[in-house]
Amino acid sequence: MSLEQFKNRNVGTQNYKKLDLSHSPSSGWGEFKQVVSRTFKPELFVGLWVTLREMGNALLGGKMHTTQYPFEKLPISPRYRAIHEMLRLMESGNYRCIGCGLCEKICISNCISMETRYDENQRKEVSKYTINFGRCIFCGYCAEVCPELAIVHGQRYETASEQRASFSLFEDMLTPIDKLNLQQEYQGFGAISPNADDNIKKTPLAY
Amino acid sequence: METTILPEVTALGVIIKAILILAIIAAIAGFGTFIERKILAFMQRRLGPMYVGPYGLLQLIADGIKLFTKEDIIPQHANKVIFAVAPAITAATAFIALAAVPVFPDFTIPFVDIYVPSIASDINVGILFVLGMMAAGLYGPLLAGMAQANKWGIIGSARTAIQFLSYEVVTGLSILAPIMMVGSLSFVDFNDYQTDGLWMVVYQPVAFVLFIIAGFAETNRTPFDLLEHEAEVISGYATEYSGLRWGMFFIGEYANMITIGVVASVVFLGGYNDFWIFPGWFMIVAKIAFSFFFMLWVRAAWPHVRPDQLMWLCWKVLMPLAVVNVIITGIVMMLV
Amino acid sequence: MSEVQTVENMVSITIDGIEYKAKEGEYILNAARANDVFIPAICYLTRCSPTLACRLCLVEADGKQVYACNAKVKEGMAITVDTPNILTERRAMMEVYDVNHPLQCGVCDQSGACELQNYTLELQVDSQSYSIADTKRETSNWSSVLHYDAGLCIVCERCTTVCKDMIGDSAITTVKRGGDALGKEWKDTMPKDAYAMWNKLQKSVIAPSNGTGLTNCSDCGECVAVCPVGALVSRDFVYSSNAWDLKKIPATCAHCSSGCQIYYETKPTSIEDRTEKIFRVTNEWNYVSLCGAGRFGYDFENATAIKDEVAFANAIEAFKQAKVIHFNSVITNEEALMLQTLKEKLGVKLINREASAFQRFLNAYSKASGNSLYTLDFKEVMKSDFVMSLGTSLRNDNPNARYAFNNVQKMNKGAGLYFHPVGDALVPTFGKSVEIFNHKAGLEEAALYLMLDLFSDKEQLSSEVKEQLDRDHLVTILGGNAKKFADAFDKMMKKKENFSLMVGEDLYFHENAENIAKLIALLESTSAVKVAMIPPKSNSLGVALICDLDYEAEGYTIGYNESGDFRLSALGDGDLDMPAMNQQEGTLTNMHKRVTPTNAAVEYHGYELNDVMKVLVSAPQETIDWTPYLPVAKGFKSISFDTLPNGYLNDGTENRGYLLETTITEVEAISVEKFDEGKALEGQIAYRCNPQRQFNDFSDKAHQIFEAFGLYVSPAKAETLGKTVVVEFDNGELTLDVIVDDRMEGDIVAVPDFKSAKNIYELFGELRYQTVTIREV
Repeated sequence: MSLEQFKNRNVGTQNYKKLDLSHSPSSGWGEFKQVVSRTFKPELFVGLWVTLREMGNALLGGKMHTTQYPFEKLPISPRYRAIHEMLRLMESGNYRCIGCGLCEKICISNCISMETRYDENQRKEVSKYTINFGRCIFCGYCAEVCPELAIVHGQRYETASEQRASFSLFEDMLTPIDKLNLQQEYQGFGAISPNADDNIKKTPLAY
Repeated sequence: METTILPEVTALGVIIKAILILAIIAAIAGFGTFIERKILAFMQRRLGPMYVGPYGLLQLIADGIKLFTKEDIIPQHANKVIFAVAPAITAATAFIALAAVPVFPDFTIPFVDIYVPSIASDINVGILFVLGMMAAGLYGPLLAGMAQANKWGIIGSARTAIQFLSYEVVTGLSILAPIMMVGSLSFVDFNDYQTDGLWMVVYQPVAFVLFIIAGFAETNRTPFDLLEHEAEVISGYATEYSGLRWGMFFIGEYANMITIGVVASVVFLGGYNDFWIFPGWFMIVAKIAFSFFFMLWVRAAWPHVRPDQLMWLCWKVLMPLAVVNVIITGIVMMLV
Repeated sequence: MSEVQTVENMVSITIDGIEYKAKEGEYILNAARANDVFIPAICYLTRCSPTLACRLCLVEADGKQVYACNAKVKEGMAITVDTPNILTERRAMMEVYDVNHPLQCGVCDQSGACELQNYTLELQVDSQSYSIADTKRETSNWSSVLHYDAGLCIVCERCTTVCKDMIGDSAITTVKRGGDALGKEWKDTMPKDAYAMWNKLQKSVIAPSNGTGLTNCSDCGECVAVCPVGALVSRDFVYSSNAWDLKKIPATCAHCSSGCQIYYETKPTSIEDRTEKIFRVTNEWNYVSLCGAGRFGYDFENATAIKDEVAFANAIEAFKQAKVIHFNSVITNEEALMLQTLKEKLGVKLINREASAFQRFLNAYSKASGNSLYTLDFKEVMKSDFVMSLGTSLRNDNPNARYAFNNVQKMNKGAGLYFHPVGDALVPTFGKSVEIFNHKAGLEEAALYLMLDLFSDKEQLSSEVKEQLDRDHLVTILGGNAKKFADAFDKMMKKKENFSLMVGEDLYFHENAENIAKLIALLESTSAVKVAMIPPKSNSLGVALICDLDYEAEGYTIGYNESGDFRLSALGDGDLDMPAMNQQEGTLTNMHKRVTPTNAAVEYHGYELNDVMKVLVSAPQETIDWTPYLPVAKGFKSISFDTLPNGYLNDGTENRGYLLETTITEVEAISVEKFDEGKALEGQIAYRCNPQRQFNDFSDKAHQIFEAFGLYVSPAKAETLGKTVVVEFDNGELTLDVIVDDRMEGDIVAVPDFKSAKNIYELFGELRYQTVTIREV
């Protein structure tokens, strides 16, 4: 693609509005007319009206924009990447994490560590799991790579704490068992697309 | 025109008046900062200060405490004496100007029978005095900017010089026409002139507009806030100032805003005369409050101009208009 | 290349139109692999017989579909790897492999290093056409180390193949799974090979071949190594780490003289403890097979060592007054060279029991034969078709010797003669053409005379020797039946070309060791038999070549991993800590006459022998700086450590370190002594011999090696003994628990020597067999 083609490539429908700018006057008479027209046209008062109107809207129309932050919070996008959460299975309350180690492997800042073991039920159990938030860059790869949607990004973006350990342990990130019913399904990176079923072939089963 | 016999003005009354002016205007100036922040916030559909006291009302106290307790820094290469005196000039001239202005209606303190006049000093050249004091106020920013050994300060003081000197001309010329009509330089005479007739603004609309525009420039308000325009010259003449000294500039500016509001109200908007069912004291307060609000309103609505535009406006538009207005007024007075 | 190696004839073949050279008689698959051509195959193992379980290696050769693992190359053969029909077959086979395979790749221990996964992707299987009801398959532990998840098993039979063809245990086999029969409709609609494969897969699962739930084997773990999926894992490793987290450190196993190439796989111990820990040992299983000690005996590092300056100062003092250094063969060539330097500079005497016996034997052999080293290495033994073992307990002494003996029987249609006083139930199972001579201890010379009789060109023998060659008599005194042997031997000799003899430690610790060495030299010079020697312990060959060993010494003794007045120890119990073999760099000389590098897998924080050397005599900065100074006269090369390779090439060529140079000198005719029939030992005999997975203190220290220090006896013998017995030697006695070794036969009892603290060599002296008295406690 040549540079010219590249510049003229179709990048979607364009809805730009062009301003109709008048030319600057060139003669003294033109300048005088401009001054007179600007002086006596009510343009200046439009500005005054707009600000007064907005004040009225704010005070009387209830259109105040301010969110009083520590007490009120704006909802954030499900794709926002804040402090991680470890989810549980809704039905059984067991952790979703199967200990596959993909998050540990993909982590580009190398901040995830885990230990696994062979448990009494002949399953792989995650015995320890930590994220070093001093290193984490919240890239979201761990949530994206997780095959079980077990590690996801939560909505807790206020990352000030007395010590980093406050959110680095598995238990702190895990949904508390008594709040299981409040657990939200993750919609961000790595979540299943709504039409996922259409994109896979069914495997035949004999039973 | 009936002449009212006023009680005798005593020294004690003048002192009480002066103290009242100082205390109340200083308080109002402080409160003005709160009002300004609130009004600007509302016009942008924000809340403004909210957390110190109910609706943030105690914010100005918090700000005051902060200003008073901040470290007083004088730059190493500054001219320390001038640097220290300059804010006082601004504040002092602003309050001195108020001495010749009718700030509140006169009243007698009951029981002790002390008459407190509406004007601390009803000199018969009040307008001249006020304009002169406000012109003298130019030395505050000018000296401050030059004394602080800072390039932004120098630019700020240069702007002070051109802006204040230029607009002094417009203020003087614009108010000359009403003076010609009233034939006095006393504010009381101006007030009385409008007691029965129409407001001066009806006779002199052009002079009123010119005076208001010049007033914005004299008080260093948007759209003519070039002296300390943050986007261009950091903080202009106030760059190196902090704490209480900076606060004195601030109080001076707000006192000047009130002065302009008072002058505009008395000269053009009917003074402290009763109006319909409203008593005079209420009318003057309402008029001053509106002019104060108008200044904030303008700040919220309009952008500021460039220095060259400011000069152009002064010398090529406003001053000729003022001269024409004076000439027409004179011709009309000669003919009528 | 030594001149012993036969030059193979090369043929030219074409694969997919490109011409390649291949060794004559090689399988197509191996020829392709040697030439970097990819043919899919799951079940084939390079050094084992084709299993024909996976059928993926289907190729077209000269217009006919053949299995590449099973068809040999011919001159001018034109091979096509992919034809449309073959691709259909292969795709169907992969789909079948994926039927009911659990989708637990996320937790599977193979963690992506999975051949099933790789081939599924390689053959682009993106949908499944087949299905059948699954059978519940239980997870089970086969032994103290083997963990089998039948659900993951694809029954490629690599484990059974390697166990039979390489290890010789034949401990596992395919058994019925009890799955549903395939529906008739599949037979008609499916590709033929895929159907046959599925039919077998659906029916079978792997289980211990003795019918119990537990394997009776040497726990070598080779089945774990070859498993292409995560079905076979060591019990210790299950779900403890992903393969990708482990750092592979190429090293040489130092437990025995095989010196196998291994990888220590390490990662940080835990979240809190970030020091590296060895999680498992892996190997290039196509080219080398490990034993249980090598695979599971890896955590013997000296973990607690620190730089203890007081101990170090004491060590320097001790060295200054030392008269003797007592050490064993678990040291590197570099350390051996340091000790030799100390001997030269300070005049200390060097005592190493096993290496000195080997050195004496090797010297006697060299003097007689003119060869500075024995002629065969064990890779060549594996290629021979007639293998003999003399003077070594094949099952216990050296795993590689045993694998070679077994592999010859299984792969080369070979024959074998096994001479040993201790009866063994395993060796006869290696092949039908294996003849066992359980002769009396002390009659090893008679065995060599028998070999002279069997293989030598009689013209070249002196008349005194010929007098001794009475075959029937020899067979009889060695415990055989003359008539039966004569028949059997005729069969054994059919189509045999390459003869090899492995000799072991019994001969080095023998009264007539020198005469035996001469007899071996005589056998070699007068027959086609070539000899390979099994150095008694890890680096005995290196020590024997590098050090000038002493036999007797008195005075202040420094023990290095051995007893002494001042002890240097890598076991953590000495006066000064030393690094263990997995904590240090250096080279080892293995029994394949190869100098191989080993690397540090685990951190070491203490002093090394080189630090002592720096104080005592001038020494280079690092231990490995000694490597180029190994004695060239003895066959070493002046090559720096960092340039030594450690791996295998695609065609199986061993690319590790370098081979020792063998020099050949002219010698006079060899004169040997007669053997004395009366010297055979009588009475209760104790044999100095370790259990299968124990070699030294280090293997003993490892947590997955369970063989205890005790008296190993045959089941029949155990009945006559109590639980604990006292074994009385001429110069001392030992109290030992009696441990039954199922595969031992006969009356001789085995006393292990892997604990250096027990000073077993003192009890046995210069012999490996001793008459003892056993009494109950």
